[in-house]
Amino acid sequence: MAKVATARETLLSLRHEIARIEGRLAETLAEPGETASGSMILRRNGRIAEDTLATGADGLDAALGGGVPLAALTEIHAFQTRDAAAASGLALALGALLLRLREKPLLWIGTAEMFREAGFPYAPGLAQGFGIAADRLLVSQAPKLSDALWVAEEAARFPALSAVIVELRGNPRLLDLTATRRLHRRAQEAGRPVFLLRAGAQAEPTAAPVRLVAAPARAAKRRTLLGALDGSIGPPAFRVTVAKSRHSMPAEFTLEWNADERAFHERRSLREHAPDSGAVAALSADRPDQAQAARPVVALRGAA
Amino acid sequence: MQEAAQAACPPLVVSHRENNTQRVAALCERAEALGLGHGMGIAEARAMHPGIEVVEADPVADRRLLESLADWCDRYTPLVALDGDDGLFLDITGCAHLFGGEKALLDDILLRLADQGFDARGAIASTPGAAWALAHLASPALIASGEETQALAPLPLAALRLPPQIRAALQGVGLRSVGQLIGAPRAPLARRFGKELLMRLDQALGAIEEAVSPRLPVAPLSVERMLAEPIVTVEAVEALLLPLAASLKGDLERRGEGARLIQLTLFRVDGEVRRFRVGTSRPMRSPDQVVRLLHEKLTAGAEELDSGYGFELIRLSALETARFEAEQTDLAGEGEAEEASLAFLADRVAARLGAQALCRPRPVESHIPERAVAMVSFAAMPAVAAPAPQPAVDAIRPLRLLPHAEPIEVFATEVPEGPPLNFRWRRLVHRVAGAEGPERIAPEWWREPADAPTRDYFRVEDEDGRRYWIYREGLYQAGKPMPRWYMQGIFA
Repeated sequence: MAKVATARETLLSLRHEIARIEGRLAETLAEPGETASGSMILRRNGRIAEDTLATGADGLDAALGGGVPLAALTEIHAFQTRDAAAASGLALALGALLLRLREKPLLWIGTAEMFREAGFPYAPGLAQGFGIAADRLLVSQAPKLSDALWVAEEAARFPALSAVIVELRGNPRLLDLTATRRLHRRAQEAGRPVFLLRAGAQAEPTAAPVRLVAAPARAAKRRTLLGALDGSIGPPAFRVTVAKSRHSMPAEFTLEWNADERAFHERRSLREHAPDSGAVAALSADRPDQAQAARPVVALRGAA
Repeated sequence: MQEAAQAACPPLVVSHRENNTQRVAALCERAEALGLGHGMGIAEARAMHPGIEVVEADPVADRRLLESLADWCDRYTPLVALDGDDGLFLDITGCAHLFGGEKALLDDILLRLADQGFDARGAIASTPGAAWALAHLASPALIASGEETQALAPLPLAALRLPPQIRAALQGVGLRSVGQLIGAPRAPLARRFGKELLMRLDQALGAIEEAVSPRLPVAPLSVERMLAEPIVTVEAVEALLLPLAASLKGDLERRGEGARLIQLTLFRVDGEVRRFRVGTSRPMRSPDQVVRLLHEKLTAGAEELDSGYGFELIRLSALETARFEAEQTDLAGEGEAEEASLAFLADRVAARLGAQALCRPRPVESHIPERAVAMVSFAAMPAVAAPAPQPAVDAIRPLRLLPHAEPIEVFATEVPEGPPLNFRWRRLVHRVAGAEGPERIAPEWWREPADAPTRDYFRVEDEDGRRYWIYREGLYQAGKPMPRWYMQGIFA
């Protein structure tokens, strides 16, 4: 009996130690074999703080253990520079969700090179597509990478911002494990997320608890009362891969961002998602060639 | 202002071009002793003394030298004005006691300039005109207020800053000294030689005021520390900054103001003056914040702070001040403090990377996408922003806009006026899978020429799901050049 009690004691102290390292409450650590869920409550600066930001896409939230961490560094990768719009779109959508929680400005930091290659943040687009008003956005364009990192580190400690987005390219030597640890630490102290967008970067050791990979996905067609509108481009879609998370194995999701509702929707399967227009074969968004979809089905695929 | 010639060098003559001949503009003492003079032809001078060294005059460099000397003179008074090509006016009102009196001040200036290798003349008088006359003709001199007439009377007419033709005309009628002019009846003088003569005379004697306009704006508040031993490192400078900033804070508090523009001036031992300016987006007093802002400025440069043989004088000035609104926070103490901390972050970023490094978008009333938003620096934004103009159209706009629209190669379009089927951008071919448009945006006729082409914008999506904003400039028309296509923005 005493042995069991000692073992339990050891287990408990270990769990507390792990919770301390991860910056969470020990009670929220799941029992082995149990899924991590339930509400997590943390006290930060004497106030109750939510630990995660639920994206609204259930699968992604479960894979991230409730959502994107609120007080941490989160890496969002894009494989190519031209996919930077997908990564920044994802980050800004999260920023728009955050703005619902607290009305504080969002700071977007990038190097001049990055902004030249991938485009400068465009305020009318942000207002229209994400509901982020011009006076809620601050943009810092740094001439050099070291300057961008300096601004990021300085800004990461200011609680007066709702989120800090840092956008960098490639795998610079300056951005090593220590640098990410510094950013992560400051984000934790300020109780506010820092999104590190990295275009064309290899996965490296990082202090960020979550690493997502964003890629563009074909948008669904606009939906009207009469069904999908041909030749239209619907709400933006992203293919999000959870590359690093404490809560799950790597997983991939396709998300759609609804700017009007300011919410993510998960596109489970394209077929299920496309509304049935009735008479002819379903017009599904995954078939680039629309003429093919309209053709009568002569033989089923399995039979051919 | 001639540099003392080194004994080992040949006599030095500076030449300049005048009426298509090279003439002597300035010459050293030894050249003067050889019998050469101003205005002599260079060919003539060379013929007389083949050993002289002739250099071309460089007025720009002379000016630079004079300005750096003016910078150096900032240590005595903030009111320094340039006078012609070779003189400086220093308004030492209220400054002399800091240097042990007027006599000591004049001696100090002349001695230090002599140490630097300048042959300087100087005088102190209560009017600029009298000081100019004495400095040019009776240096060093120091006269009290009211002694001008007595001091200037024996001096020749050259003491009065008159144009050469008036001087020659006066000499033509036998007036050779200032004393003779003072004694002469004024009305005939004015009639015959013009108003300028009397104006110069009155200025010299103090009958009318003459303003000396300083070359740099005078800081409302300055604190400085003179150092017995020069300091070299940035750390030493910063260590001295804190007490200076604290004493500046006291002055600002008495005026109920905060600093909007702060300048740190470092006077190097060898006469070089370095200035560092930082602006603040909100009036600021706190010494810690001032020091941290200046720290960013001092350490931001790629090159090390060039301290040479060290700095001997440090001055901290508030160049611009504004009313300091004492902040009253609510019990939660949130909003105000956060706004202030954001302003401080913006100031630090601006001090290190320039004012444009941290910007806020401001909507502009324009349909042209690249003009529809202006980036203004954080400091330029008022604390309480006026309601921004709402965008005129609620059309779909991209997340990111390229700094310049990039030309793309379009191979084929659906119909002549339709979206492209594929295009090449940055050397990659993109196959268009879906397109929306066109949205026609006409040029702003009040800004551009009447025949400026219109733009037809399309949202296109490629096969991988990347969404782009492209436009066609112009229309397909017979007899007109083919319209060109551009990539302007990228959607999320």
